[in-house]
Amino acid sequence: MPTLEATRPLQGWRPTAAVRRRVQQWFLNRLPPTDTLTLTQRNVYILPTRAGWMLALTLLVLLVGSINYQLNLGYLLTFLLAGCAVVGMHVCHANLRGLTLHLVPPLPVHAGQAVALEVRLSNDRKKTRHGIGIGVKTERRLIDAHLAWADVPAQGTETLHVAWPPPQRGLHALPALTAVTLFPLGTFRVWTVWRPHAKVLVYPSIEAAPPPLPAGEPQPGHAGTARAQSTGEFDGVRAYRRGDPQKTVVWKRAAQTFAAGRDDLVSRDTLSAQRQQLWLDHAQCGTHDLETRLSRLAAWVLIAERLELDYGLRLPGQEIAPGQGTSHKTRCLEAMALC
Amino acid sequence: MGSLPRDTRDTLFLLAVIGWVVLMQIGHIPWWCTALTATVLTWRSVLTLRGQPLPGWAWRMGLLALTLGATWFSHGTLLGRDAGVTLIVVLLALKTLELRARRDAFVVFFLAFFTLLTHFFYSQSLLTAGGILIALLGLLTALVNAHMPVGRPPLAQSAGIAARMTALGAPIMLVLFLLFPRFAPLWGIPSDGMTGRSGLSNTMRVGEIASLVLNEDVAFRIRFESEPPLQRNLYFRGPVLSDFDGIEWRPLRSAFPAQMALSANLKVEGEPIRYEVTMEPNNRSWLLLLDAASEPPVLPGRSVFLTPELQWRTDGPFRELVRFKAQSHTQFRHGPEAPVLALQDLVDLPGGFNPRTLTWAQQLRQTHGAGPGAAPAIVAAVMDHLRTGGYSYTLEPGVYGRNTADEFWFDKREGFCEHIASSFVILMRALDIPARIVTGYQGGERNPVDGYWTVRQSDAHAWTEVWLQGQGWVRVDPTSAVSPGRIGSFERLRAIDGFFSSSLRNLNPTLAAQVRAAWEAVNNRWNQWVLNFTQGKQLDLLKSLGFDAPSWTDLAYVLIGVVIAVSLAGAGWTLWERQQHDPWLRLLQKGRARLSGLGLAAAPHQTPRAMAAQVRQHFGDTPFSQSVTKWLIQLEAQRYSPRASTTLATLQRDFQKIQWPKGPVI
Repeated sequence: MPTLEATRPLQGWRPTAAVRRRVQQWFLNRLPPTDTLTLTQRNVYILPTRAGWMLALTLLVLLVGSINYQLNLGYLLTFLLAGCAVVGMHVCHANLRGLTLHLVPPLPVHAGQAVALEVRLSNDRKKTRHGIGIGVKTERRLIDAHLAWADVPAQGTETLHVAWPPPQRGLHALPALTAVTLFPLGTFRVWTVWRPHAKVLVYPSIEAAPPPLPAGEPQPGHAGTARAQSTGEFDGVRAYRRGDPQKTVVWKRAAQTFAAGRDDLVSRDTLSAQRQQLWLDHAQCGTHDLETRLSRLAAWVLIAERLELDYGLRLPGQEIAPGQGTSHKTRCLEAMALC
Repeated sequence: MGSLPRDTRDTLFLLAVIGWVVLMQIGHIPWWCTALTATVLTWRSVLTLRGQPLPGWAWRMGLLALTLGATWFSHGTLLGRDAGVTLIVVLLALKTLELRARRDAFVVFFLAFFTLLTHFFYSQSLLTAGGILIALLGLLTALVNAHMPVGRPPLAQSAGIAARMTALGAPIMLVLFLLFPRFAPLWGIPSDGMTGRSGLSNTMRVGEIASLVLNEDVAFRIRFESEPPLQRNLYFRGPVLSDFDGIEWRPLRSAFPAQMALSANLKVEGEPIRYEVTMEPNNRSWLLLLDAASEPPVLPGRSVFLTPELQWRTDGPFRELVRFKAQSHTQFRHGPEAPVLALQDLVDLPGGFNPRTLTWAQQLRQTHGAGPGAAPAIVAAVMDHLRTGGYSYTLEPGVYGRNTADEFWFDKREGFCEHIASSFVILMRALDIPARIVTGYQGGERNPVDGYWTVRQSDAHAWTEVWLQGQGWVRVDPTSAVSPGRIGSFERLRAIDGFFSSSLRNLNPTLAAQVRAAWEAVNNRWNQWVLNFTQGKQLDLLKSLGFDAPSWTDLAYVLIGVVIAVSLAGAGWTLWERQQHDPWLRLLQKGRARLSGLGLAAAPHQTPRAMAAQVRQHFGDTPFSQSVTKWLIQLEAQRYSPRASTTLATLQRDFQKIQWPKGPVI
């Protein structure tokens, strides 16, 4: 299973970092993946923060001061503050304990786009849970600024969104997530680490300026019957190329695209009479690199879909028969994501 | 505050809390420190309100250098307690000028706690404790508020959370306070530990006690175990001053060798008066006891000894509140009965002072005769002169010059106890009668609420002792001759009151007295239970818990035991909580188990309503089916209907009432 750690570029081999990484990896691997996690004593961890250590030091100095000047009121102040810190520790732990985290399975994205992870926090306690942060667990120390914060209302839910850049095309396990709270005093950090079960599909990236759609291919066999009906008015149509005569432009379609704010023109294929079929073939993309080809194909699929054309897809080792519509598009993109 | 952006509001709140912390310190820091702190805090508030950037590095360094210089100028050092307090107050204010990130907020927070502790150097009264509690709650509120990152939570909410945490932390505080072993100071504390404390000093310059008369601070409290002595016998002995250089009275450093020095030679008569003294810290090493204490009072960890001048002293100054038991006799004799050489010290007068008094002494000698036999008559004559010679008691006798006795006897004819006592002793010595000044406290006030007697600094007094052959030292209080009301009754010169208490007194004198008495009683409880909670008391606590000979290690064991017990209780609670589920779910589960026992297996996800339908389908329209169905529907309504009137407890009872058929019904 590809993980964040495995895909991280190596930055020189440091023994401590390597050991740390292994420990973290071992720790993560023993977490059962789940999309809904209820936090209990078992999966909530607590450690003092730097401010917590500073408070401990302050308490020590206050205690020494009280001893040295024999201040009974100083003892009272010191012990009251210590009592508050202990209570704060419990409040902090209880703030996270009992919370239920639910990850909404993320929608597929194209490579280079960030996945928006939507986490629903539900609280069945009769008190608000303040200051709960959700973030993607990274190898290094988590910075609070990278967290999304929320107050979860009493017996209610709250939704948080966390962005995560997926590493590359393919089907990826989601990164481990972490929920953190520092409430109420910031002297303790209470957190949990959570490995979601859901996966995210990453389609190839979309080429920014793709060449026009390839020309159609003659349909094998005799002039089709069912296909001609299903394609509607035009049998063969392609993106406008410079030099196309104006009469071949499909003005009706152009009006639609203009209305939608684009300026793509479509020409009637002069060979339409020959019942041509649009095939998006990885072998005809013109480049050697598979990723570049796939991103060009992805761009073409989106264009063809936008133009409401029938298109088929040929990938190494598989072929998707021409079709149209969202499910067809999804099928093509999935095939490209996974090939 | 309501319409300000959150950051502005939070900063202003923190500045207000810091302002409060500093405000309580105003009496103990130099004026420039107050001014600088107020300016910085105001400046910071204005910057916050206007949204302007904070001042640069140079400003802060400049102000810091200025502070260091001014502290050096005020205190002559940068170390030590008072200089330290001044510095920490300014640092706290200056730190707000770089209050940007949360880390800085934490630094301010911790600095504020040190500042809070420094308050206790000066006062540990109930009032201080209240002020500190407010400051603590304010600081915690600011901290809680800083950890609610979402939106703009109302400060009242943060304050509520802080108050709840403090209330929950109080039992922990109590246990630690009761059981944390009290150690001796870890290292010597700076000698300025008690500067600024008022009280008797061991030197006396004429006119000095006047400052004490205006001081209503409590010197000590007394609880008499038997009938209290008469008010006029309430003389509490402090330092005895026998050495006079013309201006200042000092304790005697006798030039006589030890075996020739005077001895206390105390003989007491009658039943002793037993009492308990709670003495405020005074940084002096003498015990303030009723004249004359025959038995050494027991103070744990201190050795107590009697000086030839009948003072009970210990080996070190009292820097904390102490409580001890003592016994005294108001009928006593002390000092040598026959003339001894060492009495020469006590007729010593510096030359060149008070010529008119010396001349008058010559006249008196001629009238009443000389020698030891004439001394009682001379004392009586001088007391008579004081009573009839137009002398008056005043707190504002004006400034006395070089010859204080001359001015008192012949020019001003007014003054208060120390003018009178000093002039009297000078006159006696001029007549070759050994005499000395005793300072201490006279009188006291019984608190009707708890029966404790309170002796205040304003009760400070100076009287004299005259040596008479065959009798030893005899107490003579010349002030009583000038102002009989000063001694033996409540008619004391009142201190200047604050606006509140004086207006209260004008409105309703009885109420004012009652309020004051109640406040004193509460304050005394505070002293007895909180400030005087020493290791001795801790060990008494252990004794009552069944330890025979407790030591501080036992205290540590008990403390560790309590911590372990509480931890185990916590662990037990956690286990219990893990098994606990929602009571509603448990009830539903009970119903489900009962139905599955009847052969009606309901899936865990089925709602009560679906289960009811299943029951109706299975059992038809029987009374059992109706009751189960009704119960299930009510169960659902209890959870989900906003108008549900049934409680879980009723549902629980209803469940027991259902007539369940025996065995599976198929």
